[in-house]
Amino acid sequence: MNQRCCKTIGSIFLLTLLSGMLLFSPAVAFAVQSQPPVQTEWWVWEIALFVFSFFLGIIAVIAGVGGGVLFVPIVSSFFPFHIDFVRGAGLLVALSGALSAGSPLLKKGLANLKLALSMALIASISSIAGAMVGLAMPENIVQLSLGATILGISVIMLLSKNSAYPEIKEPDTLSKILHIYGIYYDEQLKKDVSWQIHRTPVGILLFVVIGFMAGMFGLGAGWANVPVFNLVLGAPLRVSVATSIFVLSVNDTAAAWVYLHKGAVLPLIAVPSVAGMMLGTKIGARLLTKVHTRVVRKLVITLLAAAGLRALLKGFGI
Amino acid sequence: MKQQLHANRIQLTYATVLSWTSTLGIIFVITGYLVYVFQLLPSTVPPSEVALHWHLRAAELHKIVPVPSGWDWIYQLGRGDVLSYASVVYLSSVTMLCLAVIIPLFLKENDVIYAVMTLLQVLVLVFAAAGIVSGGH
Repeated sequence: MNQRCCKTIGSIFLLTLLSGMLLFSPAVAFAVQSQPPVQTEWWVWEIALFVFSFFLGIIAVIAGVGGGVLFVPIVSSFFPFHIDFVRGAGLLVALSGALSAGSPLLKKGLANLKLALSMALIASISSIAGAMVGLAMPENIVQLSLGATILGISVIMLLSKNSAYPEIKEPDTLSKILHIYGIYYDEQLKKDVSWQIHRTPVGILLFVVIGFMAGMFGLGAGWANVPVFNLVLGAPLRVSVATSIFVLSVNDTAAAWVYLHKGAVLPLIAVPSVAGMMLGTKIGARLLTKVHTRVVRKLVITLLAAAGLRALLKGFGI
Repeated sequence: MKQQLHANRIQLTYATVLSWTSTLGIIFVITGYLVYVFQLLPSTVPPSEVALHWHLRAAELHKIVPVPSGWDWIYQLGRGDVLSYASVVYLSSVTMLCLAVIIPLFLKENDVIYAVMTLLQVLVLVFAAAGIVSGGH
């Protein structure tokens, strides 16, 4: 009973946090949106961005989503930075998160190098193409397509049901040639779980599309990587989540270089975002058992949908 | 049943290199940023001036203020903003370093498919970093 009470209080706290983020977001507080922030000192934006990213990091972990997918639509809605720089920062947020989480997952054997490398090679090329197209598109088209994508992601997150241990009766020929199979120790089952995959060519094609979209909008692509690994290829959920992080580190690196060359990475925007998000993620991981994750997840999906709608309206000039 | 680790030697090597390089990257990124915002070194463009233009498209901002981009900063490492930018560049190079380390390990194990695949992956990232396939100038 006490635990349930604590969880409810925790959820209410996070609900308040979410509402606070929207109500007291810098754009509202300083009544500035896409105009130059003449009256506001630059360091105020720096602190606001750090604090905002910190809370976003907490919420992202609890909701089980990557920080990058929340970062771009929300920060581009509420901060005065051009969406070019927000996308550049979004890629670095997703990249730094993937880099810091990658090592333990690889050591435990949850992330699989061969599975990741097979998907990442072509996906990273499409990620570069996506970034180039995204930076060449007119701003309103970027906003429109970002809005539509974010709304689509909200629907995917709402409807997708993962399968913890998919059963693959017969692996496909390509996965046999590429030796894509593995075994990991499942802490929940307290035993080793071996796995294999099927539909490898379909998976590669889907990763091409995902890479393109991730590069185009500066989004981390965990929202799409995990369902493809898990539901299409048939990898266990834990392996899917861990390997998705590895793929993300390769694809986002490729796209980040396009943003660096096009001058769309400003350390003044990228670094407070990366630092805030990483710190928030660590706190969020500690809070994970203290809040109703399902409630928070639904709230985040609502927030994401609202940010998507806002981007769409911006795209239409409303 | 006792927990056993199922990662192979190549995967463990990648993980170890990743752990060191990414930790170093985070330290570098935060240090570079603090040097820049607290103006501990002179900057090409001070933060206040960048902030006046960060609502513009990247291409427009670069016409007005010469903030570092691509590799054009390489001879100005003594500047705060350049140092901060270099730290971001380093962070974007970590994956490349880790992948490059495991190519000889794949070859040692006669795993030609993955040695070639990893080499191609590194080449894609090197070309992107050099601006060859990423629209650099």
